[in-house]
Amino acid sequence: MELRVIEKTETELRIEIAGEDHTFMNVLKGELLEAEAVSAATYDVNPEQSGGQTDPVLSITTEDGTDPLDALADAATAVRETTDSFADAFEAAV
Amino acid sequence: MAQEFDVEFIEREDRKARFLVRGLTPALANGFRRAMIADVPTFSIDTVRFTENSSVMFDEMIALRLGLVPLTTPLDDFEIGDAVTVALDVEGPATAYSGDIETSDALVVPADENVPIIELKEGQRLEFEADAVLDRGKEHAKHQGGVSVGFRHLQAVEVVDDVGEFDDQEPQILRGVIETPDGEVVLTDEFDNDLTNRYPGKELDVTDVPGAYVFHVETDGSLSVDELVLRAAEELGSRADELHDAVTV
Repeated sequence: MELRVIEKTETELRIEIAGEDHTFMNVLKGELLEAEAVSAATYDVNPEQSGGQTDPVLSITTEDGTDPLDALADAATAVRETTDSFADAFEAAV
Repeated sequence: MAQEFDVEFIEREDRKARFLVRGLTPALANGFRRAMIADVPTFSIDTVRFTENSSVMFDEMIALRLGLVPLTTPLDDFEIGDAVTVALDVEGPATAYSGDIETSDALVVPADENVPIIELKEGQRLEFEADAVLDRGKEHAKHQGGVSVGFRHLQAVEVVDDVGEFDDQEPQILRGVIETPDGEVVLTDEFDNDLTNRYPGKELDVTDVPGAYVFHVETDGSLSVDELVLRAAEELGSRADELHDAVTV
C-alpha cells in the first residue's frame, strides 16, 4: 500500500492510497465518519474525471485540534477491530 | 469501540449458506461482499502447454475452459503467485472431464470431477501440461471463489390489523428472510414467498431491520463458505493493518 500526501494542513488531509478500490475505501470512510473528531471524510476514485488517476484520493477534515493523520491511523485500527470482531462472531455461530 | 456482531445461520451447507448478521453498517456489509468476490484468491489454470490437441477445438478455447474448472485451494499452504503443475491425457472416443486432470500436489485438485472439458471422437487426443496459479478474482473472474454472494436486509413483519371482512387480500410477495413478531427468523421459501400464506386475513407491515443483513454465500467449491467469509474479513483487516503501519511510521 503506497501513500502519497497531496495536501496537508492541521485540520485537513488529502491523500492518495494506491492499489485500493471501493472494497476497502468505503469501509474506511464509514469508520472515519464514526469518529468524534472527524467532521468530514470522503474518497474519490476518479477525481474530476482525471482520465488517468484511478487510485482513490481520501479527504479528511477534523476538528478539536486532532491531526487528520492520527484520525486515519485510528480509523485503520478500528477497521481491524471490527473485522476481527466479525470473524469472532462468525466463528462462534459456525 | 469495536461493535458487537451477532451471526445466526439460516441455511448451511459446505458450498452454500445463508446467515444473518446483526450490527453491520451498509459499508461494512458491502466491503465483505466485495472482498468475498474479488479479493479471496483461488487456484485456476493459467498457462497451458499442449502436447497434442487433435480435438475439434482450438488450443485457446480449451485453455479458456480449463481456466474455469474450480480447483481446491488450501490457503494456509500457498501464497499469491504460487503455481501447481497439472496435466491431462485423454484419448477418444471419450469425454475429457475435470476429474481426468492430474495434479502434482494432492492439496490442489479439481473441486468437481464431472465438469466436461471436451468430447473426443475416435482418433482424437488431448494431452497437455498446465500451471494452476493462485490469484484474486480482481485479476480474472476465473479466480473468484465466491460465485454468488449477496446480501439483503432482514425484514420485520408486523401484524397491524385484520383485513376487512369483505376486502380482497392481494398477494404480498417477499424474498429473503423475515423476522416474525415473535422474533423468529424465517426464510420466505417456507411460505412460498407470499406473506398472506403465513398470515391469512391479516393486514401486515413490513420494514427493514436496521443493521441486520442476510448474506447468501455460494462458492465454486475451491473454498468452503466458512473459509471464504473468514478470509474476506481477514483481507479487509490486513489492509487496515497495512494502512495503519504506513501512516504511523
